[in-house]
Amino acid sequence: MLVRALAEIDAPLLAKPFYGGGDPGPITATMAHVPELLEVGLPFIGAALAPSAIPFRTKEIVILRTSALLACRYCIDSHTPVALDSGLSHEQVRALRNEPETSIDSAFPDPSDRAAIAWIDEVATGRGAIQSDVNQLATTHFAEHEIVELTLTITVTMLLNRYATSLQLPVGESTLARLAAEGFSHS
Amino acid sequence: MTDLLTAPSGPIAEAVADGVLGGRVWLYANYHCNLECTYCLTESGPNVKRRQLDADWMIDRAHEAKELGFTSIGVTGGEPFMVQSMPETIARLAEILPTIVLSNGSLFHGPRLERIVAALAGKDVHIQVSLDAPDAIANDTKRGEENFSDVCSAIPRLVQRGLKVRIATTTEDLSQADKDRLCTLHRSWGVPDEDHVVRPIVARGRAGLDGIGVAAGVADLPAELCLTTDGAFWSAFGPTVRNGIMDTDLLISRVTSPISFPANIMLRLAQGRTQGTDATLGIR
Repeated sequence: MLVRALAEIDAPLLAKPFYGGGDPGPITATMAHVPELLEVGLPFIGAALAPSAIPFRTKEIVILRTSALLACRYCIDSHTPVALDSGLSHEQVRALRNEPETSIDSAFPDPSDRAAIAWIDEVATGRGAIQSDVNQLATTHFAEHEIVELTLTITVTMLLNRYATSLQLPVGESTLARLAAEGFSHS
Repeated sequence: MTDLLTAPSGPIAEAVADGVLGGRVWLYANYHCNLECTYCLTESGPNVKRRQLDADWMIDRAHEAKELGFTSIGVTGGEPFMVQSMPETIARLAEILPTIVLSNGSLFHGPRLERIVAALAGKDVHIQVSLDAPDAIANDTKRGEENFSDVCSAIPRLVQRGLKVRIATTTEDLSQADKDRLCTLHRSWGVPDEDHVVRPIVARGRAGLDGIGVAAGVADLPAELCLTTDGAFWSAFGPTVRNGIMDTDLLISRVTSPISFPANIMLRLAQGRTQGTDATLGIR
């Protein structure tokens, strides 16, 4: 890691409540270096990524796909088990991870899933305005509030992708064990 | 009537008046020092990272502190008088709020003494000098060679030149007999009993690494705002250094300017209104 993950005993006063009496994970434990940002940033990030009006499964499509597009090893590995737990199949998870010999189109026959993935790909990797056909797909399959939330989830994931990659956050042992048990390689 | 019209108001002023927050704002002027005391909270010494506050920055924060309702300024280090311009900076601070500066007492001679006297004599400034034992061997074992001699010659010199001096004794095991000897000394220099404080070693910095001193957490330490180059901390015992790394357990915020930012967080913490838990956030 590029910076220390602060242990609970070293946690600043505003950060201590986020430790919950144990190891809060490397995102919290590094953000704790700037407690005033942790205090407002973590609840926002948590709310953006946690289950909400958008189904849990869709949220995990967003998080895993965005993380794969931005090549965030920490987020891909951390969210592969979560994506499986959300109801996505192994084939779908492999396709979202951009693994060789996988296809989004064949793994995701549902048009609304494919519309979501097209939106993710455009928001996460595009430059400038979103292409009109992708806009059309999104407005066909999603309500306004769903488009807003999809977009916020993508952009918050991008924030974490670059944060975790830049600071070289380590993947937890239990996550690595779960990946191995599910037949996934460490990214 | 004038005081009523100009007295600061607002939550910080009220908290200071009610004793919820301490009235003094501490400024860690610098971390380097000509001594390397065995129990130093900040691992200070000649070659450490200086972490030095800019003089104008200190003045700006003092103005803000006064406007918010804080009532005094404390300057500590390191040895503040290692910074050449410190006498004039302290004089400027004292024009804003009553100021106390903590010193090891070993630099009060020659041109530097003259500069200090010229800047601070007659000002609302106390210089608090450390003296840990009534004899050279016991004192210098902890504080450094010749420190006892330096302090014993410096304090009467300062008092005679019109400077207000306090003495701080930091100790684990001061006997009543040794305390009596210390008091005989400071009375002979013209420093009254009310200006002599005896306090325990706190188990942070070098003391913590050596396993000496008393443990002190947020519940044990006064709610005094302390500003450093590394952020704002809870009490002057907060921004301690261990193995060269600044402790963070008493960090309030990295933002120190304007002073209202950490002051309001500290007030919230002091009132027990800490927000947030990650237990329900799902991103651990």
